[in-house]
Amino acid sequence: MERLAAARITARRQKVTRYEVIIIGGGPAGLTAGLYTSRAGLRSLLIERGMFGGQMANATLVENYPGFPEGIAGPELGLLMHQQAVRYGLEEITTEVTGLTLTQGQLYGVSTAEGDFEAAAIIIAAGSEYRKLGVSGEETFSGRGISYCATCDGFFFRDQEVAVVGGGDTAITDALELSRHASKVYVIHRRDQLRAGKALQEQAFAHPKLEFIWDTVVDELLGNKVLEELKLRNVKTGQQSTLKVDGLFVAVGLMPNSHIFFDILDLDDAGYIITDEMMATSLPGIFAAGDIRRNSPRQIAAAVGDGVTAAMSGFKYIQEQGNGIRTANPQADGKS
Amino acid sequence: MPVSSQPRIIIFTSSSCPWCNRVKQYLREKRFRFREVNVERDADGARELRRRNIKGVPVVLINNKPIIGFDKAKIDKLLPIR
Repeated sequence: MERLAAARITARRQKVTRYEVIIIGGGPAGLTAGLYTSRAGLRSLLIERGMFGGQMANATLVENYPGFPEGIAGPELGLLMHQQAVRYGLEEITTEVTGLTLTQGQLYGVSTAEGDFEAAAIIIAAGSEYRKLGVSGEETFSGRGISYCATCDGFFFRDQEVAVVGGGDTAITDALELSRHASKVYVIHRRDQLRAGKALQEQAFAHPKLEFIWDTVVDELLGNKVLEELKLRNVKTGQQSTLKVDGLFVAVGLMPNSHIFFDILDLDDAGYIITDEMMATSLPGIFAAGDIRRNSPRQIAAAVGDGVTAAMSGFKYIQEQGNGIRTANPQADGKS
Repeated sequence: MPVSSQPRIIIFTSSSCPWCNRVKQYLREKRFRFREVNVERDADGARELRRRNIKGVPVVLINNKPIIGFDKAKIDKLLPIR
């Protein structure tokens, strides 16, 4: 309970819209949680800062989500999940969450740029975002040769030579996508084997335009006005080298969008929210689902499963509390 | 906000670019009008970016000042959005 005391206590402001459940994040975990809480009859608000679908909206083709044997475009899957949740009464708002606080009467307050909201239960499904390389020159050349989105920017590198850093599913998918435009695609990976799924690996190794540079990291980015050259280092031999490229696509994993929760919830060293198997966090009534949770396999199907568990846990929590949240403020303006 | 007071906004996009959609959606929500130039279809637009040494989208051009990527903080500052 000292965690509760540790949470900042704020006086309830006058014009606050009250819900039974607030879900932070509109990716597959949040949309599924919203579908379940809405269908359970809980007045639910989903807050999404960008576009519904989350990271999935960046995927050209999702081939490992069950039910779509030919695969489905990420944005389309996001749209379908969104439609389904809204159909059952999920309310939504597009804005950024700036704070989470404990208010009087065992409610949580969620502050956003569009106003403050309160709910008995919170489901955090804020996901993760692309990790940057963290090397010199990255900021300077961002958009001038450095890219984090192969589907967005591949077009700029027609018949040019590019490199992808990373060895996971995203890196290999990006490399294959880029091979449609570029004349040559180097894949630079710090290990001697890929983390990407077997099917993707087989495609990549068979591709004539792809060349792998193993055990290697990018130390520096060089160029005049635009990126021209990478300084590389072999992590096993320490040997340095340079590689001339027109573009570099960064796909070195994800980091959790958990910075606003670090002072009230238990996070692991990498910033992921620690939950139990019921998606409960270190504070009662706050649940976490999807990529933002520690040990999440970071797959759409897993996020969907987490969303279900978190919604059911939230429902159970509210029933046990029985604190009459249903008398929602009639003047409440849902602002969608 | 009176429409006449808004700065001239051009958004450079490509055809399969989720971040471009996010930028457009954001500006629509904030009730700004803008012109979209898809550089995959518009050769002049592509040349314009090349001239500025830009190799990525979205690019939001606000009164001729480019913001590369969906950089909400910079967009808010230039427009301005509170």
